[in-house]
Amino acid sequence: MAEVKEITRKLEEIHKKIKAEIPWEPLGPTPMPEIPDLRNWDMRLLKTYAPFYAPFCDLCCLCTYGKCDLTETRRGGCGIDIGTQQARFVLLACLIGCSAHAAHGGHILEFLIDKYGPDKKIDLGGSINIEAPHIRTVVGLKPETLGDLVIAIEYVFKEITHLLDSTHMGQEGSCLDYESKALHAGMLDHVGMEVADIAQIVGFNYPTSVADTPMVDLGWAAVDKSKPVILFVGHNPATSTVVIDYLRENNLYDQVEVCGVCCTALETSRYSDRAKVVGPFSRQLFFIRSGIADVIMTDEQCIRTDMPIEASKAGSALIAALDKAMYGLEDASEMDTAEIVRQMVDDKKHFAILDPRKAAEVAAKVAMEIAPQRRKEWLTEDEAKELATKCNVCGMCEQVCPNLFNIGAGIAEVAKGNFDLIREQFNLCVGCGKCEAECPRKIPIFKIMQIAASKETWKMRAGRGPIMDTEIRTVGAPITLGTIPGVVAIVGCSNFPDIRDVAEMVDEFAKRKYIVVLTGCSAMVAGMWKDADGKTVYEKYPPNFDMGGVVNIGSCVANSHITGAAIKIANIFAALPLRGNYEVMADYVLNRVGAVGIAWGAYSQKAASIATGCNRLGIPVILGPHSSKYRRLYLSKKEEDDWKVMDARKKEIVDTGEPSPEHLAYVCETKEKAMVMIPKLCIRKNDTPQGRAIKLNHYISLHKKFMGGGLPEDIHLFVRRDPDIPLVYKKEVREYLQKIGWQPREPVGLPTLIGTYPSKVPVDAVIH
Amino acid sequence: MSTVIPYHRVNVLTGIKSARLIEDAQEYAGLIQKAKRPLLILGPLLLKSSLDGRLLIEYALDIAKAANIPICATAQVRAKMMELEVKPDSCYDVVEIINALKDPNWQGVKKEGNHDLVLFFGIRSDLGEQGLSVLKHFAPHLKTMTLCKYYFPHANYSLPNFRKDEQWKAFLESLIDNLKKGA
Repeated sequence: MAEVKEITRKLEEIHKKIKAEIPWEPLGPTPMPEIPDLRNWDMRLLKTYAPFYAPFCDLCCLCTYGKCDLTETRRGGCGIDIGTQQARFVLLACLIGCSAHAAHGGHILEFLIDKYGPDKKIDLGGSINIEAPHIRTVVGLKPETLGDLVIAIEYVFKEITHLLDSTHMGQEGSCLDYESKALHAGMLDHVGMEVADIAQIVGFNYPTSVADTPMVDLGWAAVDKSKPVILFVGHNPATSTVVIDYLRENNLYDQVEVCGVCCTALETSRYSDRAKVVGPFSRQLFFIRSGIADVIMTDEQCIRTDMPIEASKAGSALIAALDKAMYGLEDASEMDTAEIVRQMVDDKKHFAILDPRKAAEVAAKVAMEIAPQRRKEWLTEDEAKELATKCNVCGMCEQVCPNLFNIGAGIAEVAKGNFDLIREQFNLCVGCGKCEAECPRKIPIFKIMQIAASKETWKMRAGRGPIMDTEIRTVGAPITLGTIPGVVAIVGCSNFPDIRDVAEMVDEFAKRKYIVVLTGCSAMVAGMWKDADGKTVYEKYPPNFDMGGVVNIGSCVANSHITGAAIKIANIFAALPLRGNYEVMADYVLNRVGAVGIAWGAYSQKAASIATGCNRLGIPVILGPHSSKYRRLYLSKKEEDDWKVMDARKKEIVDTGEPSPEHLAYVCETKEKAMVMIPKLCIRKNDTPQGRAIKLNHYISLHKKFMGGGLPEDIHLFVRRDPDIPLVYKKEVREYLQKIGWQPREPVGLPTLIGTYPSKVPVDAVIH
Repeated sequence: MSTVIPYHRVNVLTGIKSARLIEDAQEYAGLIQKAKRPLLILGPLLLKSSLDGRLLIEYALDIAKAANIPICATAQVRAKMMELEVKPDSCYDVVEIINALKDPNWQGVKKEGNHDLVLFFGIRSDLGEQGLSVLKHFAPHLKTMTLCKYYFPHANYSLPNFRKDEQWKAFLESLIDNLKKGA
């Protein structure tokens, strides 16, 4: 009885928070879900896509019972085993990532509410009515003001606390429950990201309801080093936008060059298309060591922890502008501006300045004072050759390289006057700087790399934020029927095996009429390649969310708009209510929306949580080779696994035997393999024969292109009936199917997992 | 426990159970020949590197042939094998074959039962080491062995960090000879 009362009280609280009385849509079963509320959905996913653990460390060092050795079947002092420990780490990673985005969102909201008040309306333009698909689906709230976003972010904060609690020693003992919690964290992350980006769009007037956003300059050589240069590093635009405002208000914007590295660059170029995008995180150290930045302003997330040391080495001034990274610097937020400038210019001191207006004024003044005194020239080939002569090819640099290549060999070639190898290697460099730190002869490897770095400049399209509802109406049918073969989301960080891979993948799939969407560092590097006509992929392909389009969505937090588009397809095109209705949305996406994420250079915990959030929503993710170090994948075992679905029209459970999508989180070693996996992971049970034939056409043709001819060995699993076979391969596929004794099977009318596991959701809820 | 530090520091062992380092090709050949159902997993690095002008994939194919070991081609290795007119016994990507191998009831690439010895050759070392970690912890029913140039702590049997390619080449050639003799 007391339990029932408690549940009722909780529900009343939730209903109050989400303004349940406003009847914009019927309320589904899980508004503001807590840890157990979507557990059954998770367990159903995990039954088919079992966690695959690759322990990165055999020990647990979290408490004073340890270090505990967990090798093989051993357990730690608390009873934990190696699999559960990996799952705990995955949850921790997801929580770190989710917290980073949510805190970013929370900070931006605070900043903007301070400026505009909580009643500032959310208006994303005439083409976007479903402004917040994640908040609507997960929280059950239709946010109308910045103040409403606070309700969503506070829900995320609360859940993060409960999830983090579960990682304390001696608690959760099931890897599957840890996975369910990680999936919960991933889902929350997309809510947090959505809050952050909606607030930014509203508060900073970013482009919205438009596809054709401005082209912005990309590349380190695009930065006009003859001017004072202010470089922003990180993710949070609260700083960079205020600096630009200051420069504009004081008529200084023509005199000062503003540029950024990592997502802050993307955010800044959404605010002002004159801001230059230097490049991804992997070029951060390289650019800082070039000394071109007079002032470096850091905010949060992907910024180097040794920034004060690096800034000093390069002779740049540093302002830490957010409390997430203060580097032990003196907090000058209350200090007199003139005095801060004096100490930065005369004494070469760095400061933390948490007042954005003050930080902006100081940055502008310091940059203008110190720029004329600084030498900002790229290294010459002769200088590089001279610096390289000390290399005796000891191999220490190779041993510490996270991308496992021998930069020493490139340096030795430079000493001989040959720059070809180091130019090639620059494409492999992930920018950590370990090689230089390890070099016993203190060779300035990053400086030498200046001669390897192309001085070419490129154009990229500024991030555009949410996909428009009008676009969803156009593509909803062809995506769910399969005639648009898929949405390929190439997202995230820059720990690439080779930086050139991204543009190649974008080009391949845009050419094949997939919809290609990009975010974060991947959006930048996609632009750092030109075709024979001198065009980047942003110039070569249209910017629409439609077949053959190449769409830059924006920074990390804009990833929520990609998953949001998948929800919008269910809500707008299929007219399924989304409010507090997560399972129905996720089930729809899993079975009907052929979307796949590619995080080819994922390194961050944010990438882990973004990907895990995609997985809970039914979107598979392909990761690059480094990502095996995340410790966990979600893999099926093809036909051996459970591919039963409910045919919602007939109310019958059908064993399809079709592994679609085959995996939820998957690592590929090479881009060639990834490009064969992408079309396969876009296959969905809902495909029409025409759509399936189009998807299989790409799967077979890419297999032939990269795997040495022939048919994929598993092609029979994806052919339901003869019309599924692509016309161009009809004869070959028919012969193969006949040879192996394939039998046709009926496509499922309305495939759903609802009804195949315990759920509060009735099967009829998926029928539109 | 060995104190050998892997060449690529990302693979440094944080645990207690590490690979037995073997430099003697005859001993390696003996272990391979003792196995009832070995499997040779080939990775894409074999297509990029040569020893003395001979692509590494050719050494790999010689090893497979000498000891009649079925091959699992990962990534785009199949394409090169087809070019060399050798059809791989199976094609899985590296995480897929490892996922299959860790199931003791899996019937192996020849449907004759799971493999008892798995040889890794040509997979990038961090990914390879992660894969070996999976099998070390979760596949007690099989042993693992590496043929790459460096030490892999998570394997059961590993080569040392060869300082020179010539040493590695000599090992591989001797291994092939020993396997041929044994056959």
